[in-house]
Amino acid sequence: MINKYKINTGASVKDYNKVSDWLSFEIPNKIKISSGKVDIGQHISTTLALICSRELGIDINSIFVNKLNTDTTPNEGITASSLSVPNSGTAIRSASIIFKKNFLDFAAKSLNLNINKINLEDGVAKDPNSNASISFWDFSKTEEFLKLSIPEIIEIEDQKNFDHSSHVETKFINSIVKGEYKFLHDLRFDDMLHARIVRPPSYFHKFLSINNAIHKYLKDHNLKLYIKNSFIAVLGNDEFEVIKSLNRIKNSIEWEQVNKLANDKIFNLIDQNSKDSLIVKRGGEAFNENIPEIKSYNNVDHKTLTSEFNKPYLMHGSIGPSASCSFYKNGKFIIYSHSQAIYALKSILSNAFNLKEKNITLHFMPGAGCYGHNGADDVTYEAALLSKEFENKYVLLKWTREDENCWEPYGSASKNKLTATLDKNNKIIYWSSEAYSDTYLTRPMVGKLEYFVSQRFINNDFKKYKVEPRTGAHMGIHRNLDPIYNFKETRLVKNLVHDLPLRTSALRTLGAFANTTATETFMDDLCIEANIDPFEFRINHLDDNRAIDLLNDLKIQMEKDEPTENGFRGIAFSRYKNSASYCAVGVELTVSDNVEVELKQAWISVDAGEVAFKEGIEAQVEGGFIQAASWSLYEQVNFDNNEILSKDWDGYKIIEFDNIPLINTSVINRVGFPYLGVGEAVAGPTGASISNALKRALGERIKSMPFSQENITKQLLG
Amino acid sequence: MSKTEYILNVNGKSKNIVSSEDKPLLYILRDEFKLTGTKLGCGLEQCGSCAVLVDGCKILSCNRPAIEFVDKEITTIEGISKNDVLNEIQQSFKEFNAAQCGYCTSGIIVSLTELFNKKETPGKKEIIESLSGQLCRCGSHASVLKAINNVIKLRKNND
Repeated sequence: MINKYKINTGASVKDYNKVSDWLSFEIPNKIKISSGKVDIGQHISTTLALICSRELGIDINSIFVNKLNTDTTPNEGITASSLSVPNSGTAIRSASIIFKKNFLDFAAKSLNLNINKINLEDGVAKDPNSNASISFWDFSKTEEFLKLSIPEIIEIEDQKNFDHSSHVETKFINSIVKGEYKFLHDLRFDDMLHARIVRPPSYFHKFLSINNAIHKYLKDHNLKLYIKNSFIAVLGNDEFEVIKSLNRIKNSIEWEQVNKLANDKIFNLIDQNSKDSLIVKRGGEAFNENIPEIKSYNNVDHKTLTSEFNKPYLMHGSIGPSASCSFYKNGKFIIYSHSQAIYALKSILSNAFNLKEKNITLHFMPGAGCYGHNGADDVTYEAALLSKEFENKYVLLKWTREDENCWEPYGSASKNKLTATLDKNNKIIYWSSEAYSDTYLTRPMVGKLEYFVSQRFINNDFKKYKVEPRTGAHMGIHRNLDPIYNFKETRLVKNLVHDLPLRTSALRTLGAFANTTATETFMDDLCIEANIDPFEFRINHLDDNRAIDLLNDLKIQMEKDEPTENGFRGIAFSRYKNSASYCAVGVELTVSDNVEVELKQAWISVDAGEVAFKEGIEAQVEGGFIQAASWSLYEQVNFDNNEILSKDWDGYKIIEFDNIPLINTSVINRVGFPYLGVGEAVAGPTGASISNALKRALGERIKSMPFSQENITKQLLG
Repeated sequence: MSKTEYILNVNGKSKNIVSSEDKPLLYILRDEFKLTGTKLGCGLEQCGSCAVLVDGCKILSCNRPAIEFVDKEITTIEGISKNDVLNEIQQSFKEFNAAQCGYCTSGIIVSLTELFNKKETPGKKEIIESLSGQLCRCGSHASVLKAINNVIKLRKNND
């Protein structure tokens, strides 16, 4: 029997409610999907094609996803916050369902046949008793097709019978393995100018002068120098000559340092600097209200514990530095960008260059992996600016490795302070959790050009901008500060710390990585204090059955595998934003005599609602696990009072193949439940599970990431 | 710097090149041979994105002048598949979807091609050594390791 259930067609359909906004049939036997979500390595193109393929019964290889540009594809906002499948996936699914239903009605009428008698195969409806047929492509030429709209709620059929175990080849893998997949960096146009920015030593260096001798060098090498106040770029037809000139130009410039980068260690600054402190209520919204003192329970029936967790600045550190290509002629821009936010950029550039939006087209082209607001927006703005100065030429601007490492917006350094009280039944009756951090939200926006890193140099305006605290549910700093557990009383506080040294914005999970790590490590401290199994202790504080099922699933997974000799295990769990995917992680690690941490085994259980693309979910959570393990064990942006020191991969260590554990992933398929975003769910539980395993190995909680040999030794030796 | 003329042999094709003597191989491959599968990641020989084979041995092409490789057989990711037939590593990467963004993938496949050309069924230590310095930021490592194990399994089955 086929079960039917109703789903909400989602946020994207509100703005684009025509089936033809999402599906088109211009090429015979092919279906083109339009999506406003960009493929940044998360396999969204494959997932969307698969969703459409299942609903319409069309081979996935006959479905392709439209190349995204701001003129023709639906504006679904920024590709961020694990919303690609919930928004775009639900829209494509809904459009496909509405299309198929109406097509069958149309075919029944055209063929003069009862719907139940129609034989539908590969988009062609056939009358089994005659040769008569009519296809999707015939229907798409009718007025009726253009009128098809998607309601807010639709009925869908149970998809239990879909086989998620069979292999689905991702859309671009064939061209990737052959080296034929084109990245933005590979663009070539006749007479194109390659460009690099001549960066100063820090955010606070003002251009004073340049030695005139450099001009002869530039002329001899057919290079052009662009200087606007302190914003300087070099351009030329030969990319290597442009790169080679950078150091020579830098050495010929005199800069004035107008401000120090920092005047103390970061965690001291987080404690000392001024803050906006807001109370966060259950549900995750922040309010500017009176913040109560931490309660104290001093009696024999209660045990009160405290905890502190420090996370350094982390970088996106994409393997391919940010790039953009821009062309300007007669008041019009054509721009290639790998930004997550090309629709927003269109409005911003329109405003910045005083051009109508219709005169700006942004085409998305892939960059290297994107994990949030990296340098892609900055480089797009810079390339646009340069192309306007060098009209009628394509300008391909690439950041250098040092640019990428030193000028991108980092994930903020942060501090968490927690207090909790156990009653005599080992139930947590009081939970106080405070997060301290710089902002995670300086994505570019109209009227905020200062959020582009070059703007201060373009305007010679070096004053620091102040951001306001965001209050929406699970926004940046307070994302996942509200624990999913049923604690009787909570005191949750977000603290936006001002005047911290480094530029920050959205890095994968925003505040959730730190907040979940802080919550789940403290839960472990409390369960050790209570002498209760970590699964049982968590389940004792949960009402959500999906969360409980997930923890049980993880437990079964972990029990199946033999323990490693001298291995220690830790677990952790969260539901991202308390509204997206549920994810539980188990880790087994060893610690060598010289305090090196080796990951041996990892187990991930994930509930992302109804499964759209199982291998895609596995890739996202396993990739997310590895990235978060890298953050946890190796990463921190180093800087001194004058400049950022993590200029290259020697100065910013990340995980390599020598510390990748055997990973087992279990995907729970919740048929009939909405798709839930999965790209970020695993990070917090990963950091916490590693910390929890380490506590069992060392007998002590390591308070500061990264859990490097240096940091562990420093804490253990006091 | 004055320009020099030399001949390079890439993926079985020879081409006359005129460039400055210090121009690294990477830029010659991308600009002159139009082979953009080899990637610029750091320009510092730290990330492995620019790996190619020279006479069957992996080298990093982002810094070393192209002129060093005159009279050598240079193979890029595009030359690893023959007549559009993928080599066993590429095929296995495809079967395991062993890439996310794909920017680092060329370098990783090139490294593994060198390894599997030299060793029939490499052990864990040899695999790790081969991939040392091949950075991936998306975290495709687990699927890459599965694809490698698959190649080893297939080779063992063919014995």
